[in-house]
Formats: sequence, C-alpha cells, structure tokens
Amino acid sequence: MNSVSTTLICLACYKDRLASVCENADEYLLFEIRDDKIYPAGRLSLPSKDPMDRTSAILACGVTFLLCGAICALTRTILEKNGINVIPWLTGPTDAILHAFKTDSLFSFRMPGCRMHGSKSKGTGQIRRQRRGQRHENQRQLPLPNSTI
Amino acid sequence: MPFPTNLPLEDIFSSIADGLFTVDTDWNITYFNEAAQRITGIPAEEAMGNKCWDVFRSSLCDGQCAIGKCIKEGGRIVNKPVFIIRADGTKLPVSISASPLRNSDGEILGGVETFRDLTEINVMRKKVKDLQTFEDIVGHSPALDKIFKILPQVSNSEATTLLLGESGTGKELFARAIHNLSPRKNGPFVAVNCGALPDNLLESELFGYKAGAFTDARTDKPGRFELAEGGTIFLDEIGDLPGKLQVKILRFLQEKTFEPLGGVKPVQADIRIVAATNHDLKQRVSDGLFRQDLFYRLNVVTLRLPSLTERREDIPLLIDHFVDEFNVLQDKEITGVSKEVLTILMHHDFPGNIRELENILEYAFILCPSGPILVDHLPEHLHLMKNSGQARREVLYGTMDEIKCRAARHTLSRNNGKKMATCRELEISKDTLRRMLARYPNEDE
Repeated sequence: MNSVSTTLICLACYKDRLASVCENADEYLLFEIRDDKIYPAGRLSLPSKDPMDRTSAILACGVTFLLCGAICALTRTILEKNGINVIPWLTGPTDAILHAFKTDSLFSFRMPGCRMHGSKSKGTGQIRRQRRGQRHENQRQLPLPNSTI
Repeated sequence: MPFPTNLPLEDIFSSIADGLFTVDTDWNITYFNEAAQRITGIPAEEAMGNKCWDVFRSSLCDGQCAIGKCIKEGGRIVNKPVFIIRADGTKLPVSISASPLRNSDGEILGGVETFRDLTEINVMRKKVKDLQTFEDIVGHSPALDKIFKILPQVSNSEATTLLLGESGTGKELFARAIHNLSPRKNGPFVAVNCGALPDNLLESELFGYKAGAFTDARTDKPGRFELAEGGTIFLDEIGDLPGKLQVKILRFLQEKTFEPLGGVKPVQADIRIVAATNHDLKQRVSDGLFRQDLFYRLNVVTLRLPSLTERREDIPLLIDHFVDEFNVLQDKEITGVSKEVLTILMHHDFPGNIRELENILEYAFILCPSGPILVDHLPEHLHLMKNSGQARREVLYGTMDEIKCRAARHTLSRNNGKKMATCRELEISKDTLRRMLARYPNEDE
C-alpha cells in the first residue's frame, strides 16, 4: 500500500474570519491540501485559553501551516521550532484566506502595520514550491472526498 | 462643566500620553492619536479606515469588545487590564477605558477607547511579587529550548522535580515558573535555601515545632512544609542537606507526612517538592554524603539548566532584558550597551552565570548617567579584558584576508554555528560570510 502524505493547514478563527489574536481564537479550523484542492479536515475547539495547551493541541494534529492574525513571538517561536510554518499577521474572511493561500496571494491580506513584519517564516514563492513538492508526492492518488472548497 | 467648543481637539488628543482611537458604527478606525501609534507601533495612516480589531489586536477584540459592550449595555468601561500584540510580536499589557460616542440626539456615532501601557508597572509588580512565569525566562538558545519544550508538561505533573545547574543559572526562577504553570499556582510557593541555615535551625525551619519541644518553645511554630500546604516547596541547595534531614525528606516523599519537632503524630501534607543543587549529586552519593534512596526519589524529573557559556547567543537578549528592568526600577533611560561592551561580555566566561551578568549591568547602571553603557562603566576586571585583547591576539597573524577569515570562524564558533547571529555581530552579509568561510579551509580540520 502506498502511503500518501498530505499538507494540513490550520486557521485560527473567530466566527467566519481569522481571529485578530491567534492565542485568543474561538476555534482552529483544519484543512487538508490534496490534488491542488483544499478539503475541510475538522476543527479544534479549545476551551482552555492557556497558550501552551493550545500550542500542544496544534502540534498534536500534525499541522504543516498555521495561518493566523496577530501572534505572540513566544508562541510563534515554539510552533516554528516544532516544524510548523507560521504565516501570521493576516486578516480576512476564512474562505478568502484559504483562496489566497491556494493562489499565493496572501500578501493583500496583511494586517495594518505588519506589511514589513512577519515574513520570517515563508515567502509565498517558498510556500508554492513546498506545496508543489507535496503535490508531487501525492501523485499516487487517493479517492476524492465529498466536500471540496 | 461643558467642554469649550473653540479648542483644537486634535492638538489636545495628540498631547496626551495615553493611546486614543475612535471608531465609527462599522468599527472602522476614524482617529488614532500619536501615543496610540507609539504604543501599538502602527502609523496612523495604516490604522485609519481599518477595522479596530485588526489594528488594536487585544485579548478582548474577538467577542468581548469593550466599546461594543458599552454600546450594548450602556455606561463605560474604565481601566480594564488586557494585553495587545504589537506588530513585532511583543505581548504588551495595557489598561483600557471605553465609551460610546453619541450625537446631540443620542444616536450612536461610534466609540472611543483609550489605553495605557502597563509594561513598567508589570515589571515592578513581578519584581515585588515574584510572579515570574514561563514567558519571563529570557532566551531562545537551543540549550534553553530543550527545557522550554518539556517545561509545561513537567509543570502540569505532580512529579518531584530536580533542577541541576551551576550557581546563578536561574534555578529559583525555573522553580517559580514550574509552580506558576502548575495546577498548584493558586497555592503558596515557599523557597528554602538548605545551605543557608545551621543544621539544628534547619529542621525546625522546615518542619516547625510544638510548644515544649525545647526550652523557649512556648507556642507551636509552623514549618515551611506546613506553610506550603496546597502549593510547592522549593528546596534550594538540597545537596547540602545534613543526613538526619535527608531521612525526614525521604519519609515525606514516601508517605506524604512529616513530624514537627516535639510532635507525637505525623502531619499529612499535600505539597509538591522542587529541589535544586549545583553539586554533582551522583558524586555525593558515591562519596557517602547523600543518601542514594533520596537521590532516586528526587530524581523523578531532572532538568539540567545550561550555564551562560552554553547559551552565549542569549547574552544580547539578557542584556536588553536587564537594561529594560533596571531602567524601570532605577528610573533611568539607558539605551543599551556599546558594541565594545557587547564584545567584552560575549567573550567573558561568566563563572557566576546570569547573576554575574545582572550584577555587572547593575554596577554599570550606577556609573552610567545616560546613553549606552560604555567600557568605562564596567567593573575593573572587565577593563583588563579590553586592554589585554587576549581573544583578538589569537587571530592577529597572517595576511589581512586570513585574519578576517579566522575572526569570522571564531565568531561563528562563539555563536554555536549560527550564521545569522555571526553576520549580525560582524555586520556583514550572509554572502560575505560564506565567501570568507570558503576562502580558507578551517585550520582545526
């Protein structure tokens, strides 16, 4: 049996938009990228506001990318040191952010005052290359799930 | 008293030290004063017209908006403590006040929020109350990261924890962080330095005594163990504990009970023990100075705290931290340290670890009136280091190119192989460093 690795992205959300502060998000929505499409992959509803609890939960899910609004430098460092690509300082509706991630146009969703900050993790080109590599690995296809964004 | 109508409001709002912004009914920022720009780090032109939650980014913004609450429930909010995240990722404590804005007919026009930076007050409060948490441990070095990764899990467990590390590595700070992150955080944290008290006194200090236990013991005196009920007791320098007390601690660890001096029945206690030592406990066990069974009881979770020389890359961060702290505590405006001072401190061996660095900077604060700390403000023994230039002489032979390349290799090694830190220290680009390293092979290889 072929093992197929997938890219799991996580959005720190408040209602139908990205939460303004990652550590304060209502819930974390998970999406899976396969075959150049994005599929919902569940949600993390975290009653504990403790940043360490939340960080541990995100890490436990095997998330590859975290898309979020403002994020404390310490939380970001912990996530990045555990292999998660954090793309912070984003604002906008969840659907639009997902679409922008897919089309590498996240720059237009930057929060005010952050246009020069936070580019430490990945440029969009790097993300595209990484995802392309991921896609290449996923050539050995799985059947498509029902729900597609 | 009515507000005078002919005053220039913008000048008034610009002059106040607190941040102030206004929003319209769609939560778009309509005014952002100078202090707001300074505190948030966001220029007014970028803030204006954007949603307030995207600009202010506070812990209340998603679902608990202060202005929204005022509009919904009426009234005002005054001095509510929250935190905001600045564009550089700093978590800033602020206190906010909010109020709705209405026109003369009482219709809602939007809202106004003012906020005050509480960083300085928080530094002082933590200093006074010892409220250090995980976030107060300064540093991002790999040596420290290993501990950061497991510290939350260690804190959440009830396991006895042993902190090993040289003097001045911050064992008590870690112990407090473990306590403040644990489910026992609302209980007491009691610290005892086992090496600082004579043996006889230590026993009564730890376990207390009953009236009549000895001459002058007229009333019961609770010991530190009793005072730590429901919380954590930190036994510093446990390696210096005399044999008789080692037995009592062992018994407590096994049965969760202890007997005060002169007591006739054991007292049950719900306490977590965090112990620390700068001795090699295994060696002390071999030398017969420390009980092996107690060593194994204490050694459930062991955290070895790195010395400052093992985490040299944290020195600039620690300097910034102490400069900020001393600025607040001593009401000064020292801007940091000069490049020369930084170089000296990066090369110093710090046998006293972080405490020594703190003392050096405290000394410099006495001599430095303002601006950056210069070499002349450092203690005498560090001046010698500058004069001898020992570290520099080691690299000063050969052609200019060879000297430069050797210096680059030395700096890279001092920064634990981190190229970005090396580039920053030498003020060269990554490409230049790569070229320098490639030009001459490493002489040690």
